[in-house]
Amino acid sequence: MAQPAAAVVSARLAPKVEEAELIRAVQQGDQSAFEALVRSYDQSVLGLAMNLLRSPEDARDAYQEAFLRVYKNIHLFRFDCSFYTWLYRIVTNICLDHLRKRKIRKEESAVVETSDGAIDRTYALEENRPAGDPERSLWNRQLNARILAALEELTPRERMVFELRHYQGMRLRTIGEILDTTEEAAKNCLFRATQKMRAGLGDFA
Amino acid sequence: MNCDSVKELSPLYLYGELAAREEDDFEQHIHGCAPCRANLDREKSLHQNLDRFRMQPPLQLLAECRRDLFRPKPPVSKPTFGQVFSAFWNSLGMGARPAGALALVAMGFFAARLTPREAGGANLASVTGEPILSTIRSVQPDPSGRVQIALDETRRRMVTGNLSDGNIERLILAAVRDESNAGLRVESMELLKDRASSTEVRDVLLGALRNDPNPGVRFKAMEALHGMGSQPEVRRTLSYVLQNDQNPGLRIQAIDILTQQQDADLVGMFQQLVTKESNNYVRQRCQKALEEMNASVGTF
Repeated sequence: MAQPAAAVVSARLAPKVEEAELIRAVQQGDQSAFEALVRSYDQSVLGLAMNLLRSPEDARDAYQEAFLRVYKNIHLFRFDCSFYTWLYRIVTNICLDHLRKRKIRKEESAVVETSDGAIDRTYALEENRPAGDPERSLWNRQLNARILAALEELTPRERMVFELRHYQGMRLRTIGEILDTTEEAAKNCLFRATQKMRAGLGDFA
Repeated sequence: MNCDSVKELSPLYLYGELAAREEDDFEQHIHGCAPCRANLDREKSLHQNLDRFRMQPPLQLLAECRRDLFRPKPPVSKPTFGQVFSAFWNSLGMGARPAGALALVAMGFFAARLTPREAGGANLASVTGEPILSTIRSVQPDPSGRVQIALDETRRRMVTGNLSDGNIERLILAAVRDESNAGLRVESMELLKDRASSTEVRDVLLGALRNDPNPGVRFKAMEALHGMGSQPEVRRTLSYVLQNDQNPGLRIQAIDILTQQQDADLVGMFQQLVTKESNNYVRQRCQKALEEMNASVGTF
């Protein structure tokens, strides 16, 4: 039993056929195959959660919840769409729930107000290193603050479509499949999101 | 198409999400309208600014998430000593607490006197004095009342040597394949980058460039292969990266290396990418490469 699993592990990012083998192994309860499957996708899942929720703690929760749901429900996966689409459907639903709850609670997640405007704590963590050019650094901080504020103005769904299109580089057709809507509806959503971003960024645009 | 609709549609144009007919109309208008061209340039700069806002999850966070997800869960949660103690303490009345405290001190004293000094501990490192990491794989009682425990032991060793030493190189190549630690893979690749002329090293770098899930590692592999753009195997992998890698930065670097030498075989691939590539900059680079090769930009 261990040998086939190990072979599957080494074929982690190989073509779709091998991914299907991996999924079947997980459906038969193979733990190492599950681990391999997780490792194939988890960095992009965490990246999506991190960009959307902008909080390492929330991203971590979303990651755990998403893969636990995958583990519990993988027996329901029938190969009628790609695993990628199925997984992203789970992740986007979890992130949308987080964003909606946050909207209701008016919670700011990682965003804190400073004299320079709204700053993302997660960015502040990364930008602790000494800056070479203070003027550029200030401009960057102001730009980040404006982008954050503009993103906060989007509805959770607009935010999701924008994230998937702009940062994850997905086509609108795929986004429609993931969000269980039409390509046209995703296009309209992206259109509204970009209008709001343009308005929010003002002279930075 | 008029200026208002061009202004409205410019974000969708930049995402490559306009229908073919709409895109043609859009481009026709842009060619003849300077204000709309200027507006499109502003839109492009907005896109570039937004690109810089993208966050990569820290590798440390990814490692923690994986550890949490794959950590074995205890089948039954036993109360900790603290919970048992506070339950016991709270059950005592205020008057009985001094007597309870005295009883606990006495218990501690006798327990220390009666417990043998070399009690068998679960921490093997403390028994042998060697730094051993152990992971218990299974616990099974046997009919005689004893317990059989299967455990994996990992002993840490320090190995030093020159990169030219075959054993050292093999260890570094093994580190490049360590799936659990992207940081280690990057550092190992940094060490190997001057040794890419060896077939074994080159094959590992090519494998990482194709398959490594971490873009940082793939960038490192690309850097190490930079001077080898004339080798057919390297060119095949670079073509694969250009057509399949999710990271536009890597796709751009692949174009840079591939176009270091004239190669008519690239024309078809670049022409295809001009029509299907989702990233504008990569698309423009393909277009430019075709122009430099005096090849037609479109397919007919």
